[in-house]
Amino acid sequence: MPQFDPASFVSQLFWFGVIFTLLYFAVVRPTLPKVGKVIDAREAQVGSDLDRAEAAKGAADTLRADHETAMKAARDAAQAAVAQARETAAKASDTQLKALGARLDADAEAAAASLELALGSARAGLETTVAELTSEAVAKLVGIEITPADVSAAIAAR
Amino acid sequence: MANPMEQFKIETIVPLNAGGFDLSFTNSSLWMLITLLAVSAFLFIGTARPQLVPGRMQAAVELLYDFIRDMLRENVGKDGLRYAPLIFAVFIFVLSCNLIGMVPFVHSFTPTSHIAVTFGLAMIVFILVVIVGFARHGLHFFSLFLPEGTPLFVAPLVAAIEFLSFLSRPFTLAIRLFANMTAGHVLMKVFGGFVVSLGAVNIGLGIIPLGVNVALTALELLIAVVQAYVFALLASIYLNDAVNLH
Repeated sequence: MPQFDPASFVSQLFWFGVIFTLLYFAVVRPTLPKVGKVIDAREAQVGSDLDRAEAAKGAADTLRADHETAMKAARDAAQAAVAQARETAAKASDTQLKALGARLDADAEAAAASLELALGSARAGLETTVAELTSEAVAKLVGIEITPADVSAAIAAR
Repeated sequence: MANPMEQFKIETIVPLNAGGFDLSFTNSSLWMLITLLAVSAFLFIGTARPQLVPGRMQAAVELLYDFIRDMLRENVGKDGLRYAPLIFAVFIFVLSCNLIGMVPFVHSFTPTSHIAVTFGLAMIVFILVVIVGFARHGLHFFSLFLPEGTPLFVAPLVAAIEFLSFLSRPFTLAIRLFANMTAGHVLMKVFGGFVVSLGAVNIGLGIIPLGVNVALTALELLIAVVQAYVFALLASIYLNDAVNLH
């Protein structure tokens, strides 16, 4: 096996040393830390962005909560106002209805009274007319002179 | 049939000798260099203009880097993030070597199939752990070898075992990666040889090992990624010992 031939060991180790030294000091050290810095910067940026997003989300949440409470308060106030308005309107119409009813009752009573009055006067008129007619009829048919007052008295007596 | 070990042969491209040591530029060095160039292209393009909203290449780099950082955060904690670039370098080196070694037709070579390279990688992790351990805890780092609540009469035995297991870490780390890479490539080569030798007998017979090799290729790609992951994961677990002492 050529791997166990010590003759090449020194040369291999020497060139390995040279090339690895170059690799580490001339290639890896000048390049890699730049990327490391970028990776760290990115992590910091992403972290701060996440923090900012978290804060913004918190603010948005409080805003939404505020909005919701405000909406609820407004809705409650509106409902209360509507209920109040409905109540006052009901009360007003109630009083109006009552007043109207009272007026109608009064009118009806007055009408009934005037009817009664008219009926009374009509009946009285009728009686006088009947008495006059009767007295005239008696005078023409029988020839006896009787006054309407007598007729009225006779009717009232029956 | 070609020798399945031939693919691991180190071939000198530019001979080089310094102070009696053979430092020749070999095919292993070449493919490590190609890996370096590929990783450089990936990282330099991906981080050319880092933006908060990443483009494709930046997203790809970030994906891998985040993967390592998450692994360290999970296994070590916040203190472990300091070592993310080093663990990333180890991870991307192993991953790229493993994957580039799978490229067909270009005579590719897998440097991580050689124990010398994997041992070098493991030693980086081991030395890091030792340095971090002593730097953070001083001599108190030795308490790593004595888990809390150990009865006094078994303490020497436990400490010896813990110490041995600590010392064996670079070897297990190195051998695990090397063995996985080597075994996978040998298996693919063997079945590739079967395709030729059985296909020569009968074309229909050659189909069977070819199908196996297709499946093996998928498996090897998985192993290439998983072994890089395992290497980085174990490195971060060992690092946790050094940073947090159990």
